[in-house]
Amino acid sequence: MTTLGRDAAETASSGIVDWVESLTVPGPAQDEAMRLLHDLMVRAARCQVLRMRSTLGGVGLAVVEEIANQSADEAMMAVLRKLRTFEGRSRFTTWAYKFAVLQAATDVRSRAWRDRDVHLDGLELLADKGTAPEQYAEAADLAAVVRTAIETELSPHQRRILVALVVDGVPIDVLADRLGASRNALYKTLHDARKRLRAHLRDTGHLADIDRQAGRS
Amino acid sequence: MNNRHRPLGPDVLGRLTLDTDPWLSCDDCFRLVDEYVEALLAGHRDVMPPMRVHLSGCPACAEEAATLLVLAADDAGVDPAATLAWLDSVAGR
Repeated sequence: MTTLGRDAAETASSGIVDWVESLTVPGPAQDEAMRLLHDLMVRAARCQVLRMRSTLGGVGLAVVEEIANQSADEAMMAVLRKLRTFEGRSRFTTWAYKFAVLQAATDVRSRAWRDRDVHLDGLELLADKGTAPEQYAEAADLAAVVRTAIETELSPHQRRILVALVVDGVPIDVLADRLGASRNALYKTLHDARKRLRAHLRDTGHLADIDRQAGRS
Repeated sequence: MNNRHRPLGPDVLGRLTLDTDPWLSCDDCFRLVDEYVEALLAGHRDVMPPMRVHLSGCPACAEEAATLLVLAADDAGVDPAATLAWLDSVAGR
């Protein structure tokens, strides 16, 4: 058995030709398909939790299993609700895994941030020191330009979301939960803020320098 | 207003000003990600350009796509290392 529990996946994928039918037609085959699907959900959720385990402050395997199983239960319900939307564009297993991965990742981030404050307030951005005085001077200049653009070109809402997500590193689903917003809505705000910043920096002749410093040129 | 100071080095500056056109929502990313990771594992890194752009600008979606890639690779009996490294570079990790 691999660390991902391939035995479970192989068992789950063997013998089921049509997962949608197996999961929807009542009978013993449905019961077996449900059991196998749950195994898949646990496998995927466990994989996600293990990959993010370092964010949980060194929790033990018992906690990993607890989160994985809770996430798997939630994900299984989501898969069954969305079953009719499966179009066969990928393997059924890959399609189903994504529900458990999303649920587990969201649950881990929520747990990792549950005792942390999310600040949506002031903006104090400092340039990092480079290795040479001239690098520091250029970095400081560009930082000042971007900071001014953030203050003058963005709406207060855009500014708060941009700084929280990008500068403070608040996970988007954690921020969405704290604000009662959707992940989609916050990403749209972030997208619009970045677009407005880039347009302003292009108009003022700074975009090329910033792209170069960010390694994009 | 408070006195918390945040560093604004090249990495943060780059993420603040990232070009995330063409637009793709997190919901659209979720809808497509299973098909996308299987295409990546098959060696098709140029498929669905909006997905690459979205994953470069959304760390949460990128984190989840990486896990899905590992799972799909394990099912397919494929080593995900190279594709995972490429995906990490797209996400700026």
